[in-house]
Amino acid sequence: MSARAGDGALEGFDARAEEERLLARVAELCENARRDGADEAEAYGERVETIAVHFEKNDLKLGQVDEGTSVGLRVFREGKQGFSSTNQCDAEALRGTARDALTVAGFSVPDPHNRLLEPRPLDAPPCRVDPALAAMSVPEAVQHGREFLRRALARDPRISIDKASFSVHRDTRAVCSSTGARAVESDASAMAVLFGMAVDGEDVGGFDYWGDGVRDPARLDAMLEESIEHFARSVLGNLGARSAETYRGPVLFAPPAFVDVFVDPLISAASAIAVQRDRSALRGKLGKAIAAAAISIADDPRDAELRGATGFDREGQPARRLTIVERGVLEHFLYNGYAARVDGCDSTGHASGGARAVPGLGPHAVVVAPGSDGDRDALVKALGRGLFIQRFSGTVDPASGDFSGVAKSARWVENGEVVRSLKETLISGNAFELLHRVVALSSESPRVMGSVRAPFAIVDGISVTAG
Amino acid sequence: MEIAADDPTDLLEEALAGHGEGFVELRFHRRRSRSIAVEKGRVDQARISEHTGVGVRVLADGTWGFASTDRLALDTVRRAVERARQAARAAAPGKDERVPELPPVELARGRFESDGYAELLARPLEESLQTVIALEARARGASSAITSAACGYNEIFEEKGVVTSDGAKAWSRLVRPEFRIHAVAQKDGEIQTGMESVGVTGSWDCLFRQATPESLTEKAAQQAVDLLRAGYPEGGRKRVILSPSLVGLLTHEAIGHTVEADFVLAGSCAAGKLGTQVASELVTMCDSGQSEYYDGAGGTLYVDDEGVPTGRTVLIENGILRSYLHDRESAARFEVAPTGNARAWEYHDEPLIRMRNTYIVPGAATLEEMIADIEDGYLLDGPANGQADSNGEFMFGTREAYRIQNGKLGPLLRGVNISGTAFDVMRTVDAVGREFKWDLGSGYCGKGQPAKVDAGGPWLSCQVIVGGRSA
Repeated sequence: MSARAGDGALEGFDARAEEERLLARVAELCENARRDGADEAEAYGERVETIAVHFEKNDLKLGQVDEGTSVGLRVFREGKQGFSSTNQCDAEALRGTARDALTVAGFSVPDPHNRLLEPRPLDAPPCRVDPALAAMSVPEAVQHGREFLRRALARDPRISIDKASFSVHRDTRAVCSSTGARAVESDASAMAVLFGMAVDGEDVGGFDYWGDGVRDPARLDAMLEESIEHFARSVLGNLGARSAETYRGPVLFAPPAFVDVFVDPLISAASAIAVQRDRSALRGKLGKAIAAAAISIADDPRDAELRGATGFDREGQPARRLTIVERGVLEHFLYNGYAARVDGCDSTGHASGGARAVPGLGPHAVVVAPGSDGDRDALVKALGRGLFIQRFSGTVDPASGDFSGVAKSARWVENGEVVRSLKETLISGNAFELLHRVVALSSESPRVMGSVRAPFAIVDGISVTAG
Repeated sequence: MEIAADDPTDLLEEALAGHGEGFVELRFHRRRSRSIAVEKGRVDQARISEHTGVGVRVLADGTWGFASTDRLALDTVRRAVERARQAARAAAPGKDERVPELPPVELARGRFESDGYAELLARPLEESLQTVIALEARARGASSAITSAACGYNEIFEEKGVVTSDGAKAWSRLVRPEFRIHAVAQKDGEIQTGMESVGVTGSWDCLFRQATPESLTEKAAQQAVDLLRAGYPEGGRKRVILSPSLVGLLTHEAIGHTVEADFVLAGSCAAGKLGTQVASELVTMCDSGQSEYYDGAGGTLYVDDEGVPTGRTVLIENGILRSYLHDRESAARFEVAPTGNARAWEYHDEPLIRMRNTYIVPGAATLEEMIADIEDGYLLDGPANGQADSNGEFMFGTREAYRIQNGKLGPLLRGVNISGTAFDVMRTVDAVGREFKWDLGSGYCGKGQPAKVDAGGPWLSCQVIVGGRSA
């Protein structure tokens, strides 16, 4: 798993050497903490190397090269937790970080569940560092980015790119703990993002954005083309927007909107900490139907096509597929080490976050299973008449599930056909109630911005307010 | 106030000596943050974090190159300058239109420090932790309906040194404390939340100048309980009175983003409208690096990240669009002076055009007069998130709504999102209150990078679309 860069401005990327260096740093941090009096210590490190080409106003703006390492240390002393982080990795800085974490632990509050987990065997990493991708140079990245922009602008003269970027990321992350956890992995990926709108004379359409990433360079060209097509269809369709109609009834959600309004609050409520602290609508609902029978949701960090694919979590525990909802029934909550100690069960490997904060709790790579109601066009036909929302710009209260916001890149459907773009259209409802009213799911579950998979969905009972 | 001797600008200036051709900008940034988060009696976060480095921008072959280093030393900074230059040269063949020569401007030189920096640095974190623990417990004890509460306190200590090859040499230190309290109430299967937050640039006393932490806690708990009984507003186009925090969101989302010059150049709805009537004559709107009316606005900034001193920019004057927000490059393209709006979140981020403290200038009306003038509408309060669109369509969330009928204020209703088209809504403003308040200091603006901003104004009456529940 190593590669050398070509004529780029960054030094070459030798994944194995980076992994050894980072593991040595986090091990040193742990040792410092133990020597200074920590009962237990856990250090997490992340090294990031990035080559990026940024575009603005339809032209190249900036070439960027970056590299940096951050480490975070969590300590427990007499049941009290302390944390400190730094991006300065010399010996004195690491000693200072250990002192800071222990100082914080000194005045914190004891908690019997403040203990580290015992390590568990890890599976092989789900992702492979591709040498060609890891070795991409600045000129090569400029060439890919330039071609990306050229093709997007060539798609239609009305397209205006406010911002775009093409970037290559070479990342390494490592965990080491005094209980014996030692985990390290590297990743290399290329990402592309488009943000802009279509302008036709006086008509300025609403903006939209799309982005994706790949780890396999053989997929790069197709990913760029798909991103352009998705973006272009959306922003061109936003021209000529008019008002919708006010009604309460079925609405067709494109995958990004379905994720924002329904999937994200459900995952948030499935956090064991939210349940333990009485702020989850899913408390007491394990084994019960919480959604329509068509809905199945898992977290799958083994899905190498998703950005969050990983072999281990923020605490060094194995990251494995977990079924959260199966045919509408709530199967599992998500646990990190602390939540698992509170409930006296095993962690599900969902400690989340980076080096700058105490491990949190969250999913890696959410996958909503496809349904069986055909493709997007079939769902437009099934909707017959009403609102088709592609992006949601609003607020969802993760505790109550109440949502309210603007339907963006929205379309009006009449006689099973998209007939016009919409503006000033708001939707509202309650996500947890309306999950029972999912009446159709597409037979495909495409990737959304490279990070989750979700289908198109028709949900009944939505309040639609037209301006 | 006395500034300690670790000013890095001499070293940066030395690193610039013999830097080679073209414009070079060096920006040292140290961010030290101390954070506490307590939920339901458990200390989730008590942490100290320090991240330091130097961001380098070089203009070579008419193209920007950017690199950064996490080490403040002559050799590493000089190496970063070379890497940024290489990146610019590698990128230059892909650029159609060269960056114009940056306009001459009086660049900042000297040292600047916000009130409260030394005081908060000396304040033991343990003291803040005890306060947060007590307030979280107080929220949970406020009512038997409260099932959970969370309280957080965060201090961000910023040190920045900007040195440019055309003369900027400025060092500034700012501290931005923030406080949040969140309460969850439940009854008969209903869950509702209440939240209060404050953020300033300044001291602990400045943070709690408008309301004590105890009163904020009680207000959040009461809001959660009251919302359990509250209904939903009706949707539709309505006349509303916006609180100062929501006026802040309106200025930020509806107008502020559309007048950022980078967005204007990409074709935002503000393009080509300078000198035209875009709002009611009652509206005068500004963006400022200073904290007008009173100290402590959360987006206060003495020098921007290109070394330009920050002042007050009048964006709309009596309804006429007067200016956009600029960095040095966009100012060159528009042939105007830069407005000091270039900001980068961390040392490894490039400066972008961002707002600072954005506000509407107070008018003459009282809140009572404004309510009395509305036959059928809402009074809205409590900011949630917001977003602006290129076509001027904006949305933002509110946490509380009160029906107004026949000039009388009705009972509390649940918050909703509101929307409209920026300049259309600003033209419907028919009353501007006389009391001014900064009320968005705990907020962050997202534009690829976060930025600490503030916004505010007086109570204001206008017409928007309310996203309530339809029949």
